[in-house]
Amino acid sequence: MDASAAAFIGAGIAVFTGIGAGLGIGLATGKASEAIARQPEASGKIQGAFLLGIALAEATAIYGLVVALMLVSK
Amino acid sequence: MSAASEGAMSIGEKINEGIAIKTVFTINAFGLSIPISDTVIMSWVVMAGLFIFAWFATRRLKEVPRGFQSLLEGFYDFANKFLEENIGHHGKDFVPFLGSVFLFLCTANLLPIFTPVAGFGFEPLFELKPLTRDINVTAAFAIVTMIVVVFSSIRYKGVGGFVKSFAKPLPFMVPFNALEYVVKPLSLTLRLFGNILGAFIIMKLIEAIVPVGVPPILSLYFDLFDGLIQAVVFTFLSTVYIAEAIE
Repeated sequence: MDASAAAFIGAGIAVFTGIGAGLGIGLATGKASEAIARQPEASGKIQGAFLLGIALAEATAIYGLVVALMLVSK
Repeated sequence: MSAASEGAMSIGEKINEGIAIKTVFTINAFGLSIPISDTVIMSWVVMAGLFIFAWFATRRLKEVPRGFQSLLEGFYDFANKFLEENIGHHGKDFVPFLGSVFLFLCTANLLPIFTPVAGFGFEPLFELKPLTRDINVTAAFAIVTMIVVVFSSIRYKGVGGFVKSFAKPLPFMVPFNALEYVVKPLSLTLRLFGNILGAFIIMKLIEAIVPVGVPPILSLYFDLFDGLIQAVVFTFLSTVYIAEAIE
């Protein structure tokens, strides 16, 4: 197996970090929905914290994407 | 994908050419030759646009605001309140910097929506691509933010206070706190770069496969929503880092 084939396989494996992001964001959405259902008047603050949380959780998945792009473009 | 093999270039090559950053011209000055890429020119366009907007919007300000001026005052008030709530009573000092970062990132991420497309016999003369897909641009923003954090920490706590803050809350945290000053700009850079570049590649893929009808709907999520959220998150995280550094 030459280097570029291994690089492509590595790029595919690198994108597995998306699993963590999917799980984390799903959990966060569940908790946010529960909190809004309990107290609808606080929904503004809950939405703010929720959006920030999903953007931060997305970042780790993006690191995997960047590694994959670096591997594919070499 | 038989359509790909019939075209002049495969989809992979089209995408590689689409995301490449080309050097447009080179400035030869003082014995150095500085390559100017198209993202630099786009950032000049965004800067010029923001200057012109600011000049026209603040030309004839009245004591009692009417119309557009009251909108601007509402935004400025919101920025003041938001920063004061998050940073504390020094929040007002950071409104110019963080407000400019937010405006620049919003404009830079939303400007590519106006790229002209081919149709009705025209070929597009130019194509607007998001300027934050270049890691140099996002790294510049992150480094400037970290410089602001370090300098504001020194200004409000003194050099001794800044050095002592590495040992909080316990002395063995010194290497971890030092590592934070490397990890924070790195994560700011990669988050913005990866999100915008990823959205751009996905939109190119969608346009290559289904050119009609589907791209505008998905572009609402990928270009608009993603671009705005990344600008908000970058600014909010910068606010939180400054608040931590000032305490």
